[in-house]
Amino acid sequence: MKMKTFLGVLVLGAFGAAKPGFAHHAFAAEYDATEPLTLTGVVVTVDWSNPHSYIHLDTKEKNGEVKHWMIEIAAPSQLLRHGLRKVDFTDGMTATVKAYQAKTDPTLANGRLLELKDGRSFYIGSVGGPNDGAETQAHPFLQ
Amino acid sequence: MKSTLGCAPCSSELAHPRRYSAKVRPLVDIFRCVTPAVVFGAACLFAGCSGPAPEPAAAQPAPQSAASKPAPEQAAAATPYQLVASIREVMNSVIDPNIDVVWNAVRTVIDHGKSIEYAPANDEEWAAARRSAVTVIEGANLLMMPGRSVAPAGAGSLSPGVELAPEEVRALIDSNRAGWNQFARSLQDRVKVALAAIDKKDKDALFEAGDGIDEVCEACHQVYWYPGPAATGPKR
Repeated sequence: MKMKTFLGVLVLGAFGAAKPGFAHHAFAAEYDATEPLTLTGVVVTVDWSNPHSYIHLDTKEKNGEVKHWMIEIAAPSQLLRHGLRKVDFTDGMTATVKAYQAKTDPTLANGRLLELKDGRSFYIGSVGGPNDGAETQAHPFLQ
Repeated sequence: MKSTLGCAPCSSELAHPRRYSAKVRPLVDIFRCVTPAVVFGAACLFAGCSGPAPEPAAAQPAPQSAASKPAPEQAAAATPYQLVASIREVMNSVIDPNIDVVWNAVRTVIDHGKSIEYAPANDEEWAAARRSAVTVIEGANLLMMPGRSVAPAGAGSLSPGVELAPEEVRALIDSNRAGWNQFARSLQDRVKVALAAIDKKDKDALFEAGDGIDEVCEACHQVYWYPGPAATGPKR
């Protein structure tokens, strides 16, 4: 029982530590709107939380190494408004995220559009992001 | 929803790409209208100075005429509190860490497709969330106290060109103190919703309240902290 509690604390601590220190910031202070990324990989975990949610995505680099990305996305209520639900994230799923690179952290990005393999795509941008038309590119329903 | 302010550049839906609620939108309208003029005025003012503008002292009393200037004892009696920290420090030390506790009290981690729900599990954990909610509610009063400096003396913008310099924030606050206070009061009102949810031990209501809190935080920040237009991303 004690070991279980200890592991629980470790897991919770790991997720807690994975979130940036500041809850709020200007998009342009942390992310580079001139550095767009298209990341395709395996969705490992999703932190469905206020004030921002996060997708943890493992991508495969050209040299074969796995790179772990933390992608900041909108708050849960905004994700729901755009049609994305918790049940859309399934075990082992691959997805493509269009995002912007963080200015200082090479593994941090700000997500704009989430594309699933079934053809659906969701606007996942958080408040304050660039006016890049990502919202109009989303197709949250199966065609 | 059309603005009732009659400010043409601010009254269209295009002025609200960030979809504020009906309660928050009028506040944003007001400051979207006055912000360019105030920032321009502040820029002109500071351009005329030969050196960096001094930070207002945190505990500096309001200017008074010599005839009406009270004795130090009387001044102390009139404002018994002592202003020590700047608004930036209050935000970083009081508001931010405690609102994070409220936000993080209820969340879901989807791990390899499996949802793991986190919520206060016992009286002690609910009490911890309550302490932080109360701290934020009362901390908002600290933000409203007149005379508090925006940032420590000599400090500048944390992100020049993106986030305003303390003097610019000061100018915005001074241009409409009532509006600043209204944002702080809105923060209190939104966190009071969270507090009620905590007292009922209603994790779903607490989670929903977190969204409302975020909305008013972001609205205030976009008026006073980083009011510039959203960056235009590259065409992809």
